[in-house]
Parts: sequence; structure tokens; C-alpha cells
Amino acid sequence: MAAALLEQLVNGLMTGSIYVLIALGMVLIYGVMHVLNFAHGVLFMVGGYVCHFFYTRLTGSYTAALLLSMATLALIGAGIERSIFRPLQGNLRNQVIASLGLILVIENLVVAIWGPNALQMKTPATEHLISLGELRFPLQHLMIIVVTSVVVAALFAFLKWSKLGTALRATSQDRNAAMVVGIPVERVDVASFALGTALAALGGALVGPLFLVFPQMGDAPMVKGLAGILLGGMGSVPGAVIGGLIIGVAESVSTLFLPTDYRDSIAFAIMVLILLARPRGLFGVRMRGEA
Amino acid sequence: MRRAGLLMLLVAALYSIPLVSAPYVLHILVLCCLYAIPAVGLNLMLGYTGLVSLGHIAFAGIGAYTAAYLMVDLKLGYWSALALAVAASGVAGAVIGAICLRFRSHFFMIVTLAFGLMLYSVMNNWDEVTRGAAGFPGIPRPAGFGPLESFYRLALGGALVAFAVQWLVVRSSFGRILVALRQDERLAEAKGVNAALCKTAVFALGSALAGLGGVLLVSFLRVAAPASFNLAESINAVLIVIIGGAGSLAGPILGALLFVGLPELLRVAAEWRLVVFGAILVLITLFAPNGIADLIARGWNRLGR
Amino acid sequence: MSHLAVQGLEKRYGGIAALDGCSFDIPGPGIYGFIGPNGAGKTTLFDIVAGATAPDRGEISLDGRRLTGFSPHRLARLGIARSFQECRVFGEYSCIENLLFSSIALGTRPDPAEAERLLKLVGLEAYATEPAASLSFGQRRLLEIVGTFLQRPRVLLLDEPAAGVNPALLEILATFILRMHEDRPSVCLVIEHNMEFIMGLAREVIVMHQGTVLERGDPQAIQTSPRVIEAYLG
Repeated sequence: MAAALLEQLVNGLMTGSIYVLIALGMVLIYGVMHVLNFAHGVLFMVGGYVCHFFYTRLTGSYTAALLLSMATLALIGAGIERSIFRPLQGNLRNQVIASLGLILVIENLVVAIWGPNALQMKTPATEHLISLGELRFPLQHLMIIVVTSVVVAALFAFLKWSKLGTALRATSQDRNAAMVVGIPVERVDVASFALGTALAALGGALVGPLFLVFPQMGDAPMVKGLAGILLGGMGSVPGAVIGGLIIGVAESVSTLFLPTDYRDSIAFAIMVLILLARPRGLFGVRMRGEA
Repeated sequence: MRRAGLLMLLVAALYSIPLVSAPYVLHILVLCCLYAIPAVGLNLMLGYTGLVSLGHIAFAGIGAYTAAYLMVDLKLGYWSALALAVAASGVAGAVIGAICLRFRSHFFMIVTLAFGLMLYSVMNNWDEVTRGAAGFPGIPRPAGFGPLESFYRLALGGALVAFAVQWLVVRSSFGRILVALRQDERLAEAKGVNAALCKTAVFALGSALAGLGGVLLVSFLRVAAPASFNLAESINAVLIVIIGGAGSLAGPILGALLFVGLPELLRVAAEWRLVVFGAILVLITLFAPNGIADLIARGWNRLGR
Repeated sequence: MSHLAVQGLEKRYGGIAALDGCSFDIPGPGIYGFIGPNGAGKTTLFDIVAGATAPDRGEISLDGRRLTGFSPHRLARLGIARSFQECRVFGEYSCIENLLFSSIALGTRPDPAEAERLLKLVGLEAYATEPAASLSFGQRRLLEIVGTFLQRPRVLLLDEPAAGVNPALLEILATFILRMHEDRPSVCLVIEHNMEFIMGLAREVIVMHQGTVLERGDPQAIQTSPRVIEAYLG
């Protein structure tokens, strides 16, 4: 029993880390621009595809492919912000609808270009197993957890100490005040979108080797990332981390008691429960007339 | 009067289509009607009242599976099962709607999304009742409407009923209240509108219409499958309403025609169709918030003079 | 008839008391000005009387009937109408549609002739079928106020009606309010910062400060009261 629990804990931390990456991306964008980018999941997926492309076609180095994927998606994210979300500023309904349109465009473009079937991305880390007591995990599991931890730490440092990071925090707290003190909010918008999308790409690139790369791979993770930020609190960066991890661990541990078919429903149920019981989440930053 | 005459002519023409059309065309037209019906429901919610529901088609699923259970397991007559299934979707809409409507803007959309996903999960996993991912087979068509030409008339009838309901609501006081709620809910309340009640009512009505579409769909396909009622389909419904013209009477019909009919006629692969529609959706939000029906509405108004 | 009684209203937001034991009594119809420095609690008071917020403590009653905590739409049905500080109209609806909306909402018989007559009184008849969003701010304010009178209220709350309105339209607004009040008297409470505007309208002025009623009296007395002056300056 203890072994099974430990196994699911590790699995949960791994999937939770992926959800954290998605949740962080979404919360950064939401915090600064007050828009929920539902298309975040497909950008996660494209991150996986782009990584696969670089890895199999251009460079044999997984690390290089990963970084290139992040860079590419950051550019794409910036482009999307400029062309779609910036003009629609303040119009929530249209922003959401535009993001739905984006989902359709991107997901189906991927199917049209790469085909509907899943792609494999075999990296050395997926073959290599490490042992934890009597349990064995692919090295990729550990890699994901470590990489995410490093990224989270780096992000916290960036937000706290760097100039752009501080500008980001200021803009998300009070956009008007930020403008008054001379912060270039338009640049902060682009930066947050690019950064958020890069994080999503990292998630897709990290999870690709483990679970294959396929067009729908971002759909469920996006919702789980969303559940994570709801649980953690809509504007809260630490909340996104904790929320994402809780969702991941809860999901994995639930397979010990419930049929695995219902695994996905755990996140949905948590979402509904949080919204009913405590809409501002664990570390909710602001209410702003929401709920 | 000119308008009424034209409309009757149009309906008559629509009903005579089977006399002159190939089965392939009829098949497409049936799908158009079946997509239009839930779209009318969503149009009332989203277009007129401003409620962005991302889980609308899950209610079509509730209607479909309720009908499947009643018709196949309980062997209830077709029309009774249809009526009960539509009522069930409406009641589900009232209950779930009341919960979702406790939230505003972003949160409302998320809760509707969450409920849609949960309902899909139930449809997909509750094997004993819904037969799970493989689908619930053996859904009958009503007596006399078996063949394609006859079923077309049934689907068309359903679409006309939905359209009539929409028209009645829009021109009623209730309809004016919904449009006021979309513009400024706080102001409407200050003028005496019970916003929560009205929004729940339109959510229930929209869900009932979705249920009607769901029952007819699974009658047509002869099977009720979860894939017909997933998130992608809910997004398609939003697409149909927006592209056709949210908040206009003809919007859902036009949207359904464009969404189903056009690509079939152009023989385009499913992915490219959705890429184009997704792009059109984005372009519409950027440049033409009122959709295509707006243009047509202006032409229609000129006829009415 | 139309006896409005407010007793001991308290409302805190976080650590700040917006209303701290606010009480007053309005025995019958009349135009009453509410003035006071920013943060005195005037809009909070209106929000509570109109049902937009519930007080932490205290009661409101109209003709002896308790109204505390009722929802806005229920209060509208009981005859309470309000205008908003930021001026709210239905932008897509035409002026006439805006005016007739309250009868739709309340289920009463709409009176288009009356609506048109009132539009004419404020000089907006040319815009009767134009969407309200196409009007200037001052014109929208006029439309908003006309709309509140069409609700035939027993209690009418006007929140800074003069704010942002140019002097020419202000004249029309003041005349209109006085005229409507003659035709259909109500308990008309008006929050204002524009002293000239309110002193010409109100029979009595109530001064609020730090969440309570500081003083009340006729406009002349209030303008020269040392306590009031100190509240604004001190």
C-alpha cells in the first residue's frame, strides 16, 4: 500500500509539474491582461510538436529542441497578443470567442499538417529508469519535476528582482497606477504573453516523450491548469504552483480508490467544488466583482 | 404582409426540397437543421442575453441520452420520450444554470465549461446507463419518418419550431428584458427586473432547445455517442452562433448552413473547414461583431417597408 | 404617505466605516439635498436604500414598512427609483425604448405618448428613435433622469445628476426636476457637489460627514453653518 501510494505521489508530482507550467502561463497572462486565454492548451500542444520537429529533424539534442521550442512559442505568443488580444482589450466576450477561434485554427492546422496520429519522441531520459526503493520511474519523470522546480524558482526570482518582473507585478496589481508611474504596459502585455506561452511550450515539450505528441494533447491539461489556478486563486502565482501540484497529486492518488476512467473528472470536480465553496481560491488576490 | 407571404413561400419551398434533391443533399440539410436547433437555444442565451456558455451541447447530450433510455430501455413511445427528454434538458438547464449564474464573466464561462466536461465524463464512463464510449445503439426514428425524405421533414419541423420559439421570445417583453440584461444588468435590476430569475429561465429554455436537437440527432444517427456532445461540439455551437450573427433571428440558421452546408458543397476536408471557420471567428471578433446575419437583416428590413 | 425612515445604518468595507450610524427621517414628499465631503458615505447610503448593498446594521422603512435588505428589483416594484453617479442608460436602445423599458420590467402598461411628451420637455424629441449611445453625456443624463420619473416612484434617488453636464443642459435639468416634482411629488433625495444646482432645488439640505448625518436645515442655514464649513475644510 505504501509503495503504491509513493508511486502515485511521484506520478502526481510529475503530472502536477506539467499542470503548474500551464497554470503559471495562464495566471501570468490573466494577471497582467485580465484575459483567460482558453487557447493556452493548444499552444502547449504546439510546443510539443515544435520540440518534436526540432528534435527529429534539426538537432539530436533534446535540450536544444526544448529551448528552441520555447523560443518559437514565445514569438508566436507575442504575435497572438499583438494581433488579437491587444485590439480586443477590455472586451471580455470577444477575447474569449477569439481564443476559441484560435483553438480551432491551431488544433486543426496541426492535424492538417502533421496528420491526426500521434508522434513519438524518444529521448534518452524516457528509456533510462531510476529506482526509488523498490519502485522504478523513467528518468523523464524526475527531469520534469526538477526542471519545473528550477523554472518556478527562476520565475519567482525574475518577478521579485528583475525590472521587467517588477513591472509585470505592478501592471497586474493596478494597470492605471502602473501607467501613471511610466511603466510601458503594452510591452508588459507582450512580455507576459510571450513568457506564458513559453512556459506552456516547455510543458508540452517535457510531456511529449512520455505520452506521445498528438493534436488533442493540450485539451485536458488546459482544463487542469485552469482548475489549478482556480484552486490557488485567480491572480496568484504561488497559488498556481500549489494548485497545479494539488490537482496532479489528487488525480494520481485517486486512481488507488476510483476506477481510472474517472481520473480526469477529479480536476473538474475540484473546479466545481472550489467555485461553489470558495471562489477566490486558496490564495485569491482580488475579487474585482468576480463571483 | 409581403414578409409573411414570402415566409410561407419559403417554408413551402423547403418542404418540397425532397422532391427535387439527391439523398446526399437531403442528408446535409438534415444535419443543418439538427445543428441549427441547439444553436437557436445558444443564441437566446449568448446572443440576446450575453451568457457565454461553453458547455451548451452537453444539454443536447442530456436530451439525447434521456430519450435513448426512455425509448430503448423503457420502450416508451417516440413522441412521449421526446417530450420528456426535452423537459429533462430544460430542468437540467434550470438547475445547472442556477448554479452557474451565481458567477460572473470569466467564472461563469469556466463553470459552464466544467459542467460540460463533467457531463461528458458521465456519458463516457457510466457504462450501465449510457453504454459508455462505444455509444448507445438502436435509437429509433418515429413511425412514418424512417426514410430520409420523411426524416428531413421531421428535422425541418424541429428547426421551424425552434425558430418560432425564438421569434416569440424575442418579440415578447421577456425578450426585451433579456436584451436589456445583456446591455446593463445592474440598470435592468434597478428598473425592476429579477435578473437571476430571467437568466435562469433563458438558460433553461436554451437547454431545452439543445435537448430537442440532441434527441433528433441521435434519432438520425440511430446511435447516441458521447463524441457528439463533447467540448469541441460546444465550441462549434458558439462558432455557429457568432458567425451567423449573435443576437439576430436568422443568425443560428445561417450559421448552421454555413458550418455544415458550405464545406460539404465545396468538398473540403474536415480539418481545413475548421481552420477556416476558426479564422473567420477570430476575424469576426476583430472586425464584424454582428456577423453575417446583420447584413441580411438590413436587406430584409428594406423588403418590409 | 411616503414617510422614509432611516435608522442607525452601518456599513464597513474592510476596516473603513462608510456609514457609521446614519439616521434621518423624511416625513413626506420634497426635494432633499445630500451634501458632504468625499467619503462621507452618500453613495453608500443610496446603494443601501436602493437595495444594491445590504447594511451591516440598521433599518430602512417606508410608511412603516421595513425595506432593509430587499433586492433592487423588489424595491423598484415598491416604488423606489434611482439614477447612477456614472449615468446608466441602455446604449443600444433608442431614447423611447429606454423610457418605456420600466413599464416592461414592472409589467405596467407602457405610455408612449407620455414618454414623448417628457422627451420634448427636455429637448430630446429629435433623438427619440436614436440609440442612446449616440447621445452626448449630458443628454444621456437627461434621458436617465426622465426615465426615473417615468417609473412614477415614491422615493427617487438622484446621485450627482449635475456632474459632467454642461450649464445649458443643467438649466433644463433643474427645470425638469422641479416641474416633475410639482406634477408628481415624491421623496426626492439628491446627492450633489454642485452647490448652486442643489441649493436652487432643495427645500432642505442634509449634510453628511464620516458616515453620519452632521446637520440638516434649509439651504441658507447650511451654507453658513460653521460645523459644515469645518467639515469641508478640516
